[in-house]
Amino acid sequence: MTIEVTIRNAENGSNLNMELEPHTTIEDIIEGAAEFWNKEAGAYVLRRGKKLLKGQSTVMDAGLKNEDVLELIPDPEGG
Amino acid sequence: MGQSGEADRWDRSRRVGWLDVDSVLRSHCLVVGAGALGNETVKNLVLSGVGKVTLVDMDHVELSNLNRCLFFSDVDASGRVAKAGVVAQGAMRLSPHCEILPLVSRIEDTDLDWGLFDVVFGCLDNIKARLHLNSYSRHHGIPYVDAGTDGSRGKLQVVLREGPCLQCSMNRSHYQVLERRFSCTGEDFSYYEPPMAAEVTTTATMAAMQVKEGLKIISNKEDGCIRDVMFYDALRNETLVLELEIDEDCPNHGM
Repeated sequence: MTIEVTIRNAENGSNLNMELEPHTTIEDIIEGAAEFWNKEAGAYVLRRGKKLLKGQSTVMDAGLKNEDVLELIPDPEGG
Repeated sequence: MGQSGEADRWDRSRRVGWLDVDSVLRSHCLVVGAGALGNETVKNLVLSGVGKVTLVDMDHVELSNLNRCLFFSDVDASGRVAKAGVVAQGAMRLSPHCEILPLVSRIEDTDLDWGLFDVVFGCLDNIKARLHLNSYSRHHGIPYVDAGTDGSRGKLQVVLREGPCLQCSMNRSHYQVLERRFSCTGEDFSYYEPPMAAEVTTTATMAAMQVKEGLKIISNKEDGCIRDVMFYDALRNETLVLELEIDEDCPNHGM
């Protein structure tokens, strides 16, 4: 069964609604959201509340639920 | 020495209850990267009393580094002087008791005696070198404190002997830019992306947090270290500490 979640862009506060299949991975969500917002190639992570979601986890593994709000955060790699 | 302790360089440090100044004075730290984070991290280590620092960096100073690097000058930039040497000289002027060993090299090309180090600090600008440092530190059982910045944002992760490592926090987006260098300059190669924004206020903040975590480790206060991943956003006035689990597929675990 698909679920609908909101992805928040940590850089500008905008939101994106995504419909997800149970087998969709966190990495797929990151790529989809980054592409939607035309983000530059770079490292990103996704959080739900206080938890950083594991890239290879699926929607089912991560226990994502309908109407969850996730945040896409750029992972700074400069030194 | 008078009661006020004015003649003791470390008097004010000794008044910090949790800080084990004698252990700090005996400690040997590895710092990899002598860019903006590396300048600040070495400065903080030296002023905190660390006895020895091995500093590894392959680059030379560029004019565009001068908006954020404490020890670099126009003369260093015009002379294309190696960053590691400039930082070492500047830091030893701040505190001559500290011995700094600069190595002009990529970390992947070094042959270090890892058993010498109490803490490893990653002040790097690319994921590939970070992963190298993460896995070597873990393999040798040395705590690794990694920081990264991008404009007004920063990230800090403390990798202890137990618990998740840097690689556990990564996903496909990291591997797609594995070899991209994000902010530094100096090596003679072409960029396919514009250089990243860099602010001294962010790098100084992240380096201060990085060294604070290192001092906790040296002072045997690991329980007080950041256990997960910390993200800092100066424009949102936000510091987020996100929980991170060991990734069972991470090659640094379960070996």
